[in-house]
Amino acid sequence: MSPAEGRDARRALTAAAMAWVFPGLGHFYLGRRRTAGAFAAIVTLCFALGLSFEGRLYSIESGQPLTMLATFAVYGTGLLNLTARILSGNPGGTVLAPTYEYGCAYLLTAGLMNLLLMLDAWDIASGRKS
Amino acid sequence: MAALLPADHFLIMTVYALLVSGFFALLWRERSRERWKLFGVLLASLLLGGLAAAWIMYPFPS
Repeated sequence: MSPAEGRDARRALTAAAMAWVFPGLGHFYLGRRRTAGAFAAIVTLCFALGLSFEGRLYSIESGQPLTMLATFAVYGTGLLNLTARILSGNPGGTVLAPTYEYGCAYLLTAGLMNLLLMLDAWDIASGRKS
Repeated sequence: MAALLPADHFLIMTVYALLVSGFFALLWRERSRERWKLFGVLLASLLLGGLAAAWIMYPFPS
């Protein structure tokens, strides 16, 4: 690996890591500030709505293999997820709430969108996407 | 945390469609005009698809 390739790889890794930490931060790091702001607003609003609908911040449960996928998706929101788990008095959601399923869908979607942002930041930083 | 939106099925679905459409329009297109076009197509697809699915499922369970 040449020094230039090593720099590109480090830049791509940094961009992807920053994108995980907070939505849009990876794009901000790459100089795409307006897009970064829009991504941050969309993913954060989606996550906040999911919490307000009393959706569930999934954790892995034995005997429930699909919770592994859901946990992976929710952890995609990085610090938003970790902060919500610490500050929320109800990370498991309220199953009986009429909006519970909507909340879960919003939370999972926010996580999956941020995982896509990580891949996008990686592709931009490594030159695969203009 | 207090609900940020009323528990209205159509409203929740519409906000979801707006967020997802906006996200993918920004992610997949670079130019403003193309973004708006994709946003419109995705939004219409999600809303009309949701309404169509609801209409098909309307008789169930009965």
